[in-house]
Amino acid sequence: MRSKALAVGLLCAAAAGSANAQSAAPAEIKIGALYASSGPYASISMPVFDAFKLWVDQVNANGGAEVKPFGKKIPIKLIAYDDQSSTATAATLYNQLITQDHVDLLIADSGSVLTSVGVPIAKEHKQFLFDVSGTGAAFFTDDNPYIALMADPVSTIWPHYISDFLGDEGVKAGIRTVAILYSTNDFTGTQAAALKGFFERDGKVKIVYYQGVPTTTSNYTVLINNIAALNPDAVLELGYVGNDIAFLRNLQDSGSQFRFVFTIYAGTEKEEIEKNVGISAMTNIFSYVPASNYEYTPNFGMTLTEFREAWLKKYPTGSNVAFGANAVYGYMAGLVVERTLATTKSLDQMDIHDAVFALSGQLKTLDSTFELRKDGAQIGEVTPLGQLQPAGKEELNLVAVYPPDLAKGKAVLGQ
Amino acid sequence: MPDTASEARNRLIRRVVLDTGIAAAVVIGMGVARGVYSNELMLFNFIVFLALAQGLNIIYGFTGYLPFGYVGFYGAGAYGFSLVVMHLHVPAMIGMVAAAVAALVLAVILLPLLRLSGAYFAIASMAAAQAVYEIVANPDLEDITKGPYGVSLSDVFAPALSYYTALAILAGALLLVVWLRNSRFGMSLQAIRDDSVSAAMSGISVVHGRTVAWLLSALVAGLVGGVFAWHISVFYPDTAFDLSVSIFSTVFLLFGGATTLCGPLLGVFILYGVYNVIGIAVPQYFQFTYGALIVLLVLFLPNGLVSLLTSRGIRVP
Amino acid sequence: MLTSAIVAGVVFGLYYTLVGLGLNLVFGVMRIVNLAHGDFLMLGGMAAWWLFSSFGLHPLVSVALVIVVFLLVGLPIYYLVVPRLLRSRDSEMLSLILFFGLSQMIEAVTTIALGATERSLPPRLLGVGPMILLGTRLPKAWIFSAAASAICVLFVYLYLYRTRLGTLTRAVMVSRDEALATGIDVNFISAVAFGISIALAGVAGVFAPFILGSITPNMGVAINITAFAVIVVGTLGNPLGTLLGGIIYGVSLMLMQTYLSSWANLLPNLLLIAVLLVRPEGILGRKVRRA
Repeated sequence: MRSKALAVGLLCAAAAGSANAQSAAPAEIKIGALYASSGPYASISMPVFDAFKLWVDQVNANGGAEVKPFGKKIPIKLIAYDDQSSTATAATLYNQLITQDHVDLLIADSGSVLTSVGVPIAKEHKQFLFDVSGTGAAFFTDDNPYIALMADPVSTIWPHYISDFLGDEGVKAGIRTVAILYSTNDFTGTQAAALKGFFERDGKVKIVYYQGVPTTTSNYTVLINNIAALNPDAVLELGYVGNDIAFLRNLQDSGSQFRFVFTIYAGTEKEEIEKNVGISAMTNIFSYVPASNYEYTPNFGMTLTEFREAWLKKYPTGSNVAFGANAVYGYMAGLVVERTLATTKSLDQMDIHDAVFALSGQLKTLDSTFELRKDGAQIGEVTPLGQLQPAGKEELNLVAVYPPDLAKGKAVLGQ
Repeated sequence: MPDTASEARNRLIRRVVLDTGIAAAVVIGMGVARGVYSNELMLFNFIVFLALAQGLNIIYGFTGYLPFGYVGFYGAGAYGFSLVVMHLHVPAMIGMVAAAVAALVLAVILLPLLRLSGAYFAIASMAAAQAVYEIVANPDLEDITKGPYGVSLSDVFAPALSYYTALAILAGALLLVVWLRNSRFGMSLQAIRDDSVSAAMSGISVVHGRTVAWLLSALVAGLVGGVFAWHISVFYPDTAFDLSVSIFSTVFLLFGGATTLCGPLLGVFILYGVYNVIGIAVPQYFQFTYGALIVLLVLFLPNGLVSLLTSRGIRVP
Repeated sequence: MLTSAIVAGVVFGLYYTLVGLGLNLVFGVMRIVNLAHGDFLMLGGMAAWWLFSSFGLHPLVSVALVIVVFLLVGLPIYYLVVPRLLRSRDSEMLSLILFFGLSQMIEAVTTIALGATERSLPPRLLGVGPMILLGTRLPKAWIFSAAASAICVLFVYLYLYRTRLGTLTRAVMVSRDEALATGIDVNFISAVAFGISIALAGVAGVFAPFILGSITPNMGVAINITAFAVIVVGTLGNPLGTLLGGIIYGVSLMLMQTYLSSWANLLPNLLLIAVLLVRPEGILGRKVRRA
């Protein structure tokens, strides 16, 4: 009896041992994500989430993602929760995904604010955080290997094409002064501070107005009057979608004219802004040219045109979600995940880290070149400066005008 | 009615033992739960709301004032803790003292609000909490409070210790309520609540009673805010001053039944529990049900769940 | 800069008069705090947006529709909710909670039905380009909303002081119990007042996309605090007071935006607290409440 039991025991151990040598492949790869379906960040979060879902569906339709350590395709299971734009809820949900759902890969919600609470939680639980679009510089420190920024450049370097352009072609056209009006939050506040630094460093264009207003500001009439009284050549308004809408409308109402006006979302969420502001208020406004308006040549994943087609098939026009830069970001995050799974040594989080960082400089997608700094900040994917130029009666084209190697047209500066 | 002094004393002792037993059960339960259930942050949030509901109970259940801006003390505590830790690099426990001080200072500043009554008081306190938020979150004060860019306290990050500290604070809040339920002072507060003129005529100092209740209530919220800042270590000002903290605490308190010990406990466990189970998956439908629940509660059960028993004369601890 | 801030403030403030007018009426008549007021405003705005994007209806036409519909909707809401509420011990506090619950319901339904993205109406509907008033450039939309607001204030004033229903309403505002004792149908009067209040919120909502840029389902909360500041400053129960309150708020806000822009949001809160502590009966008030 005893020897039989011993034999059975040894057999089981051997079986278990050989199974370990093979590493039993999981039935599915669990990816955890958060999204905000309501609140101030919903308009940048839902497109990211919907695009990521599109990627998941595509991959699963092909039998799953190629996962190197098991040498086979494994389907992806997406576990997603709604944080309703609340940081407190987001924190609890990040915790839930890590400690309860035991996700293999963790994707942050969109934007610096909703990503911020996830950073220390991911670090504490030693879970790698795929930061989609949270560009706050404070996230990326040398002592935290558990984060990398996927789809847009870190706020401290992102705006440099604006100051480069004004210092270069702007100065040649007689531009001397700039006014900067920004909303006081992590994302736009950091960009404003970075720009201030660039202008002061270059010393070619003088800052005559530099003011922060609450992110909830919804009327800019008096602010615009104040700026107009100082007569700057260039005006930069750095805020979220709601701020841009109010600013552009009030600017048009005021009748004030400036030679160069820049807002972040006129280009980045062009469709959304057009719906709320109208073509005439957006004509000749400068903005970033996001990847959703610029055809890069990828070495992996769909091109912009292909992605747009796939998007329209899954989310036909008329559904509540706008196609724009954020949709590209969501898909981009999926592509990074796909390449990571295909090249990683194991599902251990530090191996995931290594796999992600190994992609730096190698991965070219519809979002341009993926390049990471040592601390995880994205230093590639910098968006060119563009202008909304009229094309036909009721249409505006977002034309890249700077830097020269990416430009597709010339800037038109006002009088 | 008890006939002799000793009978009355025995009855009192029995009540106190029962109440304290319930308080202890809750505290021990939440302590054990941490070892069993790994989503610690959710458990922590439970403790936060359990304590806040009791803190609110002290002021509303016993004096009838409902500060809609209760979250102001919570935020003041969170920032009191954060400022001291960030700038003076003190250990977390000193930070907790700072949190308590910050909340008490705010309470003293806002004492004049107690002159107002009813809805005025509620709204004024909400405006006060918003005002404190606007001051703290102002970018001009970035060097001190980090303005709207959020606080990061990674130096003192200690999830286990902060969890148990929160548990201690909960225990304190529960014991405070037990004391108020069974003491002369607590009864005098209820008298003030029911009819302040008559209470004054029978020799109770109305102003003194209200002030003490107000300060105690603020203290609880301040300590909870401080331990929240400690536990979560990264937060924005609008998380610390989020009005929904007040609102949730108020709803939990009213749902369960104010002035009792068990009312707020029931309210938090049931409503917040349901929220965490269902609300995560379908928040909009949940928000709707929540709103409907509140409406029905006010219309049909304005004194909370425990009124099902207390209206029949049964004492609920 | 100073004159333009003041002029802009007066015109802009008139919009907030409109926002506070309905709230004032309800609190004066029923001592009820309608925390869902901002959400009814939001519904008015969403209605205008929907009517425009589905039927091309101009917002000034939508205003009329909104008034009628909201007035009719207000009556049953009142009857369903308020009489029970007023019978309980602590009706002021409970009304706060109850209408908060209502506001959550409205927000949830709107978000489910329409999604959370910003909605707006094209600026050209109310005229593009500035109107110059006393050397200040103002958006034409502001002039329209200021006019609408002035008309509404006039209407409420005439209603309260020149019609029979209005006189009865003022009686109820002074003392509900005494009015009941003299045989006034207090519930009907209150229901009408409630309906008017929501209709006014709806009108303010129609202009919201123009004044505030865009509307979202959860914009109601922020609007409420400002509305309270306006009515408290201007004395509860008196529509002319709300007029003053709105203007004071508007001018202060514009001055803050000019000179201390990052502190601008602090204003309504401080104003509210200051008035409540120093002069709780408001600018125009005879004492309406004992603290």
